[in-house]
Amino acid sequence: MSLSGELIAFIGLALVAIVGGVLLITLTKVVHMVIALVFTFLGIAGIYMLLSAEFVAIVQILIYSGAITIVMLFGIMLTKHQENDAPAKGGWGNFSLLAAIAGFAVAVYLGIYNLDIPVQPTALHEENTKQIGIELFQNM
Amino acid sequence: MIKDLLHSAPSLLNFGIFFGLAVLLLFVVLGFVTYGILSERKIMGFMQMRIGPNQIGGKWGLLQTVADVLKLLIKEDTIPKKADKPLYILAPVIAFAPAFMVLATLPFTDAFQFADIGVGLLYYMAISGISTIGIVTAGWASNNKYSLIGGMRAAAQMISYEIPLVMSLVGIVLITGSLNLNDIVAAQEKVWFIFLQPVAFIVFFIASVAELNRVPFDLPEAESELVAGYHVEYSGFRWAFFMLSEYVYMFAMATLTTVLFLGGWNSIPYLDFIPAAIWFGLKFSAVFYILVWIRVTFPRIRADQLMEFGWKVLLPVALANIFLTALIKELINLF
Repeated sequence: MSLSGELIAFIGLALVAIVGGVLLITLTKVVHMVIALVFTFLGIAGIYMLLSAEFVAIVQILIYSGAITIVMLFGIMLTKHQENDAPAKGGWGNFSLLAAIAGFAVAVYLGIYNLDIPVQPTALHEENTKQIGIELFQNM
Repeated sequence: MIKDLLHSAPSLLNFGIFFGLAVLLLFVVLGFVTYGILSERKIMGFMQMRIGPNQIGGKWGLLQTVADVLKLLIKEDTIPKKADKPLYILAPVIAFAPAFMVLATLPFTDAFQFADIGVGLLYYMAISGISTIGIVTAGWASNNKYSLIGGMRAAAQMISYEIPLVMSLVGIVLITGSLNLNDIVAAQEKVWFIFLQPVAFIVFFIASVAELNRVPFDLPEAESELVAGYHVEYSGFRWAFFMLSEYVYMFAMATLTTVLFLGGWNSIPYLDFIPAAIWFGLKFSAVFYILVWIRVTFPRIRADQLMEFGWKVLLPVALANIFLTALIKELINLF
């Protein structure tokens, strides 16, 4: 696999999506979590765009930007705005967790790396808004 | 030229060219914002029977905005002690970045455009929605009641006015059969959509003023009620970012109105010896002037009236327009 512009873009977007996801879990304030969620969704939308699914990418942003704003408002209105950080758990639990995650990562890597999906040339990426429309409103 | 570049093999040189062009566009837009603000103040002065800026930079005050920006740059950058620091810093960025991103798909003339994607119209609507997240974040992170109320109002207003804004454009999409902005301009070669879709134009224009948070709908930053709304606590360059994003959106929205309803760069019959760029500039300036005119003449409406107007008037009218357009297109096959 050579280093192409597409790969660089994918790595960047994937990093944004994953870091957003990790921050969503680790941050403690609701509003911070919502902002992390925004980055996850935008990263995923960017990956859709790379896969030439422009309609899905745009709809993802269109729907979620509104939805996230609402989530944020509910987060502000329905939670207490006071800091009470739970003390972080330490000890052997973390190590076993790390081992489990590493094992899972290795298993997934081995499973995916040599997976050979036969690629058929399709025209799905051309004018996919039109194709989705025809599929939805004529064939269903 | 851009078309050839887009279809050529990707290389570092291509990246450099596009990066350079994007930086160039940024400076063009900054130049527009500088003189857009000046012209807005001049028009307001003219309509309110006063002179407006006339001291710095000659008789017309040509350097007034430059001096204002310089003042903002050297101002103290304050962050309130009780503010949520990371979000306070991040919020202006989230608000500004989408404002510049939406410019990528807007076709200024047939040759001057950056990206020609199939869903250009939806792209604009989707990306511009992200700015609201920045505004709500700013309102919350400032830890100030006025800011928070401003942010809440911005969210409510964006949700309720984005729907009529998009719905009013469905008629155009039905007639054109495409979401691509270039196709939409091409479909207006004979008749502009303002004549085919007058109701949609009125709904779109009202909703676009609301999306821009400009005067009859400027509740998120209503100075007489909320001091300055969501950016009360901001100063210096962070404040400038909010103002900048507001004016870049104004630029983008005036461009979009021109492209969707006024035929983009198409000329009036028999006058096609005038270059496309000048036609675009003329129509764009007219839309800009009307936006300023609205700002000067209308009083701000109340928050509950705003919601009622959006949901009970604009949305049903936009839906009726879609229904009528579909009916006419199918039955009479006029278009």
